[in-house]
Amino acid sequence: MNSAFFVVVSLCLFLIGLVGVLMRRNVLMLFLSIELMLNASNLLFVLFANVHGSSYGLAIVFFVLVVAAAEAAVGFALIINAYRSHPSVDVDQYNLLKG
Amino acid sequence: MGELTVQEWLLGVFLIGSALGVILAKNPILSLLSFLFSLFVLAVTYFQLAAQFIAVMQILVYGGAILVIFCFVMILFQDAEKEIRKVKEKSRGPFLLFAGLAFFLALFFLAQNVGGLKPLSRNLPEDFGMAEGVGRAIYIDFFFPFEAVIVLFLVALIGAFYMGKKRVE
Repeated sequence: MNSAFFVVVSLCLFLIGLVGVLMRRNVLMLFLSIELMLNASNLLFVLFANVHGSSYGLAIVFFVLVVAAAEAAVGFALIINAYRSHPSVDVDQYNLLKG
Repeated sequence: MGELTVQEWLLGVFLIGSALGVILAKNPILSLLSFLFSLFVLAVTYFQLAAQFIAVMQILVYGGAILVIFCFVMILFQDAEKEIRKVKEKSRGPFLLFAGLAFFLALFFLAQNVGGLKPLSRNLPEDFGMAEGVGRAIYIDFFFPFEAVIVLFLVALIGAFYMGKKRVE
């Protein structure tokens, strides 16, 4: 097994998540793409935990999991709240803060 | 990079393919399923990297909890999702150009430093990747960050509850 390969795969996953955030218009898909980016970072943490033979990287993955769960909870509450004032899930329609 | 084994090729192709499925699928439920598939492939990758406990937790927490919430919310908003397609899309060319540029910059930086990357460990500690090793790391070495994350999660839940409830006029 090859560590550089996994770094490249993780980079690709992160880029795909970034493109998803930029391209998709459904705000729910935005969140899914963010999860993809978090997973890319998780893969790197696990990879380098293995490379260095230390469990610290694996502990960080747990914290990332918790942050992902918290982000989903707060994000969905925000979406539902925004939907009440602005009945759409299209990110282009959320332009109240536009200067 | 050296030569790659069939295993690595398969993992990479499945991971990137399923991730592409997440952002390219028109139907949100299909992207959700694609994400679930990518989670399973990631779990296999974690097994390959000797992180068994993380692989199992990944499936349990991500596939079992977070994706189910996603699924509920997508069912809730499925009518609104159909409305989106009636509005014309704005152009996002500059953003994509920026993303591609950042990717190639990162790839270039990686290529410069690829010699410094260590190979995967052959002789890992006995408890690496097991619940014991991870538990020791979390509850002893990372005790304060662990407590901080607990507070973060509590605050997030209270915030979500507060924002989600209906205001009484």
